[in-house]
Amino acid sequence: MWFGSDSAGRCGLALLALVLVSLAPAPPVLAHAAFLELRPVEGIAVQGRYDDGTVMAGAQMAVFAPNDPARPWLTGVTDDEGWFRFVPDPAIEGRWTVQARQAGHGAMAYVEVGGEGEAMAAVMLMAGGDEAFSPLQRGVMTASVVWGLIGTALFFQRRRAA
Amino acid sequence: MVRRGSVAALALVWGLGAAAPAWAEGRLAFFASGEDLATEGFVGAQLTRDGWALTFDHIFVTVTALTAHQAEPPYDAMAGGEIQATTSVVLAGEHSFDLVEADADDRVLIGEVEAPVGHFNALSWRMTPATAGPAAGYAMVFVGTAERDGVVVPFVLRNAEARTYRCGEFVGDERKGFVVAGGMADLELTFHLDHVFGRADKAADDPTNLDALGFDAFAAGGEHEITLRGMHIGHAGEGHCDVVWE
Repeated sequence: MWFGSDSAGRCGLALLALVLVSLAPAPPVLAHAAFLELRPVEGIAVQGRYDDGTVMAGAQMAVFAPNDPARPWLTGVTDDEGWFRFVPDPAIEGRWTVQARQAGHGAMAYVEVGGEGEAMAAVMLMAGGDEAFSPLQRGVMTASVVWGLIGTALFFQRRRAA
Repeated sequence: MVRRGSVAALALVWGLGAAAPAWAEGRLAFFASGEDLATEGFVGAQLTRDGWALTFDHIFVTVTALTAHQAEPPYDAMAGGEIQATTSVVLAGEHSFDLVEADADDRVLIGEVEAPVGHFNALSWRMTPATAGPAAGYAMVFVGTAERDGVVVPFVLRNAEARTYRCGEFVGDERKGFVVAGGMADLELTFHLDHVFGRADKAADDPTNLDALGFDAFAAGGEHEITLRGMHIGHAGEGHCDVVWE
């Protein structure tokens, strides 16, 4: 399950899991053994949408780490539901920035990543904004951030081939 | 939509800047841009919502209280309100400029100031009627020529409404506003003219087209006073801004 909060009420995100496939040298007695290790990790999910509810499918995303804030640490594209998920490097503490852009609209979101063993917290969501109740708001993008803390070693699985 | 030339790449020295003495300063330049719709006009596929081609001789804009902020927390333009900043720098005075007289990146330099090291992640300015010059009495003036179906009309559209824009971080091809000791950073006031005239290459029910003036109302040409209240022309790149009308 995904532990998080979503100000827009969009819960039930799929668990973000990092799947590590290891093909490490097999012990002599188990030639060609393969190991599949699945380890849930902390992750960030961001959804871009316009404030008429339309999701930003296919928006260009850029993630900036706090130790190099002018250069993208990661780039990608939102999925059909407007979501973009990534796992920040927990060794890089501080304020991470996520930028979304599509068709002349853009927004920034900021997420604090704490020290080792600490939870991540979405400090705020920030988006293009216009006057309250303006008709133009329909065309303005909003973004929301949820964070997940899976904890340490909640799940570990290893399969050994015969 | 924002297409920009390169600006000083500051990432590599960011760490040095953060560790610099508190008195260390760099410089911060303020630019304005009406993008290609100002310099090239509404031409080609980018006609007005009602099919007019527009080219501009001048688009005069006048601003005061042009201020860059190191906002903490980062400013949420959607929520609006005052910008909470640890540091702010002001380009003092009244500044009138012409969005048509721009450089190759569609930008006009308004001015620059010394600024303390840090990330200027918010921007605010007041648009106000000019006190002198060709746009005296008006905050924004469009001077140009419209053409549709062989009909060509010169026009002057004047807007006198004062308002204040409060914006968060610039959104565009690159992040902006990182001042390092001895370096130069920049911010941009971006004016989205399609919010005024609409765009034929967007759907008729696109929010921009629903609210834009278009040009049919001025088809006779000549001089007109217009209201832009409720239209969101001012941006920081692609990032929207909170607008307070006076």
